[in-house]
Amino acid sequence: MNRTPESYSPEINDLLSRRSLLQTASCGFGYMALMGMCGEAAARDDTYKNPLAVRPSHFNPSAKRVIFLFMQGGPPQVDTFDYKPQLQKNGGKKVGNGTLMPSPFKFNRAGKSGLQISEAFPNLAKHADDLCLLNGMHTTNPAHPQATILAHTGSINFVRPSVGSWVLYGLGTENNDLPGFITINPPNRLGGAQNYGSAFLPACFQGTPIGGQGASSLPNLYNRELTSAQQRKQLDLVQKMNRELRERSGVNDELDGVIESFELAFRMQGKVPEVMDIKNESQKTLANYGIGRGKASDAFGKQCLMARRFAENGVRYIEVHHGGWDLHNGLKARLTKNAASTDAPIAGLLSDLKERGMLKDTLVVWGGEFGRTPAGQSAKGDGRRHNNRGYSMWMAGGGIRGGMRYGATDEFGDTAIKGKIHIHDLHATMLHQLGLDHEKLTYKYAGRDFRLTDVYGNVVKEILT
Amino acid sequence: MRKLPLLLLPALALLFSSSSDLQAQKLTAKENAFFEKSIRPLLAKHCYKCHSKKAGKSKGGLYLDSQAGWMDGGDSGPAIKSGSPEKSLLIKAISYKDKDLEMPPKEKLSDSEIAALTRWVRMGAPDPRKGSKADKPPARSTIDIAKGRQFWAFKKPQKHAAPLPSNGTWALGDIDRFILKSLEEKKLKPAEDADRATLIRRVTYDLTGLPPEPEEIDSFINDKSPRAFETVVDRLLASKRFGERWGRHWLDIARYGESTGRTRNFPFTFAWRYRDYVIDSFNNDKPYDVFLREQVAGDILAKKYPQNKRDRLVATGFLAMGSKDLNERNREQYLMDNIDDQIDTTTRSVLALTVSCARCHDHKFDPIPTKDYYALAGIFESTEILSGLNARGQKGGYKATDKLIALSTRVKPDGAKISKTEVQLKKMQEHLQQLRTEMRERQKALGALNKKNTKKKGKDRTPAAEIAAQRKEHQKRIQELKKEVQEANRALNRKKNRGGGSAPTGDYAMGVTDAPKAVNSRVRIRGEVSNKGSEISRGFLQVLSGKKRPHFSGNSSGRLQLAAWLTSTENPLTARVMVNRTWHHLFGRGIVRTVDNFGETGERPTHPELLDHLALSFQEDDWSVKNLIRRMVLSRTYRMSSNYSEAHYAVDPGNELLWRMRQKRLDAESLRDSMLSIGGELELSRPVGSPVMKLPINEIGRSLARAKKTLDGNYRSVYLPIMRSFVPQILQTFDFAEPSMVKGSRDVTTVPTQALYLMNNPFVHRQSKNLARILMDKDGLTNAERIDLAYKLALSRAPTTFEAIRSLTYLKSFQDRNEEGSNPDLNALASLCHALFSVAEFRYLN
Repeated sequence: MNRTPESYSPEINDLLSRRSLLQTASCGFGYMALMGMCGEAAARDDTYKNPLAVRPSHFNPSAKRVIFLFMQGGPPQVDTFDYKPQLQKNGGKKVGNGTLMPSPFKFNRAGKSGLQISEAFPNLAKHADDLCLLNGMHTTNPAHPQATILAHTGSINFVRPSVGSWVLYGLGTENNDLPGFITINPPNRLGGAQNYGSAFLPACFQGTPIGGQGASSLPNLYNRELTSAQQRKQLDLVQKMNRELRERSGVNDELDGVIESFELAFRMQGKVPEVMDIKNESQKTLANYGIGRGKASDAFGKQCLMARRFAENGVRYIEVHHGGWDLHNGLKARLTKNAASTDAPIAGLLSDLKERGMLKDTLVVWGGEFGRTPAGQSAKGDGRRHNNRGYSMWMAGGGIRGGMRYGATDEFGDTAIKGKIHIHDLHATMLHQLGLDHEKLTYKYAGRDFRLTDVYGNVVKEILT
Repeated sequence: MRKLPLLLLPALALLFSSSSDLQAQKLTAKENAFFEKSIRPLLAKHCYKCHSKKAGKSKGGLYLDSQAGWMDGGDSGPAIKSGSPEKSLLIKAISYKDKDLEMPPKEKLSDSEIAALTRWVRMGAPDPRKGSKADKPPARSTIDIAKGRQFWAFKKPQKHAAPLPSNGTWALGDIDRFILKSLEEKKLKPAEDADRATLIRRVTYDLTGLPPEPEEIDSFINDKSPRAFETVVDRLLASKRFGERWGRHWLDIARYGESTGRTRNFPFTFAWRYRDYVIDSFNNDKPYDVFLREQVAGDILAKKYPQNKRDRLVATGFLAMGSKDLNERNREQYLMDNIDDQIDTTTRSVLALTVSCARCHDHKFDPIPTKDYYALAGIFESTEILSGLNARGQKGGYKATDKLIALSTRVKPDGAKISKTEVQLKKMQEHLQQLRTEMRERQKALGALNKKNTKKKGKDRTPAAEIAAQRKEHQKRIQELKKEVQEANRALNRKKNRGGGSAPTGDYAMGVTDAPKAVNSRVRIRGEVSNKGSEISRGFLQVLSGKKRPHFSGNSSGRLQLAAWLTSTENPLTARVMVNRTWHHLFGRGIVRTVDNFGETGERPTHPELLDHLALSFQEDDWSVKNLIRRMVLSRTYRMSSNYSEAHYAVDPGNELLWRMRQKRLDAESLRDSMLSIGGELELSRPVGSPVMKLPINEIGRSLARAKKTLDGNYRSVYLPIMRSFVPQILQTFDFAEPSMVKGSRDVTTVPTQALYLMNNPFVHRQSKNLARILMDKDGLTNAERIDLAYKLALSRAPTTFEAIRSLTYLKSFQDRNEEGSNPDLNALASLCHALFSVAEFRYLN
């Protein structure tokens, strides 16, 4: 059902200006404002504050938003972004944990920076000068569920808020017509909703899943009973009653919040389908993202394009999930397939962001929950095992240096030895780019101040512009 | 420290072996040579990697690159007792005598190296290396328990005579006197009484989570008796709906969930029995102390007192209900994480103390040393969790029907039908077995072939070519078989790891039982499970106990003693915490606002004397929750209106002193139940069990379609299945308590997704239409009368004339889409009813 701004009645404009007033007012409260609403952190007064209103960062941010391209399963670093000439020369050699298996992929120098990138990613290679390869990644656990949850929440042993929830809690969202944290195509296993959950943070900070669990869009966007005009009329009645109640109750900011939330909801009904509708995108754009019937990259291309559209519309944290990276066997064929479905979309996303002047303040992060061994799954098999000792991720945009290779694994690509980055460090760095100090972004729960990085995390200063 | 004569130093070093401000000893040439030749290289080679400043590591808090380092020692104490190898931890560690303390961890030192170090320690550990104390990690426990006891929450509640406010007529009871007195101190007056319609709506929701029926409203309004309100309250307390409302409050605290959550989200087939137990307990007004004792030690009590055995066994589900990381292969980690959940849940729910902060270090704010945490941990380490599930990598797979409580002795041995998965598993196992047999036979044949031929002579020999051919065939097949076995094995393991087939059926419950052997726990240094420190006798929190340590007899875990300690009238917190939780639900905010945290970082009570008064009378009244609630709602304070007053707002904007009633928002359950109830669809009977019972013992994400189906049904929301990560949408949207954590106070947020739900969700549409149909079906009603009734049903009041006229106009001007078969009048009325479900007034209690 189409909803247009014309259907607003005059009194709605009135309300909207009140809304913007409210918004401005709540901006200034900062963290104290947030405390107004819940739990132990609650302030002493009863005043209502929009929990999702924009809040100031701790310092000037380099990035306004994050797009996390999560490659679930553990992409093998030595076949993607961690070039290891010694591995190529030593195929068949026995090492501590098996027999070395050279990469079936060639690496090529790319861009002015000459970064070595696997031939599997010809389109992405064109963006070499924007990429910062993180070759010294390591994480705590080599099992998918634990490592996936750790990558998303910074904790294995406890249920904790996800990175996106922390970001939304820290910064609020710029556009109230859309959720502030969207996760596209999330798996319902491996921690499921915990990976975008808000745990002890209020529920409004949890991620909104789109796709994956069957929902192709946000829930409750469409009214199946009423036409747009009928609904507007009904809403007018509801809002009248709400305002009358507000008059009766004296100072009651919470009711202001309710009134505001209905107007926002009404606008979301129009806005969300509009943002999710890609039919007005140019053929060139669609082609850049690898979108097209029958193309391997069609599905992921659409998701990446969606991510850009969300980013453009003020969504603070966006994750796009791509599974199938658990390459225990058939590595060459399956990696080729994964690359075919993600290479063009990711490259398309980077160029699109750049063309729109958004790459500079959008932090793009690529990677899985861990990596894979340079040793083969078996002496002859065509696959690799899980590896949490060393793996690769990359970042681009959002104040990250491009054309850089940071950190290193040992000569064969097994264990991080230089420029080591633990997932806590990655989280600290992501927050830092958003202008948040990971040691100061805390939430009081069960008597103490919790943070995303617990007692860990160092910002990787070397990779910042 | 003043410099001391050098001669005295060795002796002093022994006396003050934990002090490191000493200067490095002056060594004899011989000592020096021995150290440089035999000790320094050895330490550098084997120890510095993890215990030196240069490496930047002091594992276990220990440095071995300076004399001060080993003198101060690590988390387990000084590493060396000069002169006494047998009393030195270092020597103990290198001699690999204690399984939990073996150093270096990867490989034992050689005998000669051990001998050298032992000799060195016996010599008095002469050490020329200087090093300062500043490099040391922080010292051990500095908590002053006696001083800690002075904190308000750790002192026993005191009896306070109710004050005498100057307004002698307003107060109906002691609660009112305390409230009024503190208002008067600020020159504030209590608000006027709420009107009867408001009051009955308030109390009906507060006690049952449902709206009052129009007849109930009318009868209360028309009841001229001075006991009219009491009549209402007693009716509500006696209603079965009461336990469904107040039981759910407890389930929030008990982090009730019907699946493990986390890495591999498996269903808890029998969690619902605990849910029903909780609801029944509140309905039966089970004394709160009994309720607690059953949950902590019901299994032990059941042995002594077989009456109500079933209830008592089910009650222990409280300790088994936590979220679990089934993918955790490290058993020790799995054990300690589950224990942490038990400690956290027990202490926060009952005592409002955050004891689990002391898992890794002494509590930073409250007088709870790590020692106390492990004293409690021992009790739970001596307790076995019966959740019906195994963690990964344990024999028998995830499904563990033997790890459930069989409630009746005649329970069938797992009456479940054999599932498809189980059939497949069996087939796969047989297949694997066949392959292995064939492989063995081939290998044997191959061996025989080689042997036979060498034994035979001359022309008896089989022609070489034939042998070669046979050999080749065997070898080829063996190679194939190897692959097949590997694949079959892998497939089997994959299948096994996915789950354990169908859900068990039968008379089972989740819960706990005493482990075969009671043990004391050992401190896990910095919470690292493999980093074991000293053993701690089982016990409770020192700050809440007298000097005498509890006695734990023989092989019992100590949960019975724990239960007794928690519910003793000597315990200053248990009663206070519960009355505060009750106050929170009725008055919208606790007297201590941080209902789950009475510690230093929590808030102080706004009315400390009232809190003590309520706590003591709660105990004196045999811990009756119903009487407690009755006393509170019959107070005049509870009956105040929530009307605004500018003058009062100026003095106390947060209404901390309760000059008016606080407005409350309906929680998710009340919202859903109300719509169902008003729409006439609410199924008030209790469902048998939970839909979760039908889910296979497998990751819920793998049977999602089935799991989603389980969410249907018009039962009260408390009976909706609460699978972690799959909480029903309406609950999730309206600030339901996260089921993995203790949550005594739900968040109250206002966000557009809630408005979207109310505007567009088919559930809301259906209930609106249902209500419209009910109104239409009533014979002889005019539209005005229908509107009147709709208002009463949804808002518990009649519309004003203005509202009535507006509603009539709305109905008239409604332009139907006029689709085939549609009923414009019904649609118009449904749209009006939908508006009533959407307005803020419907969701707020004044």
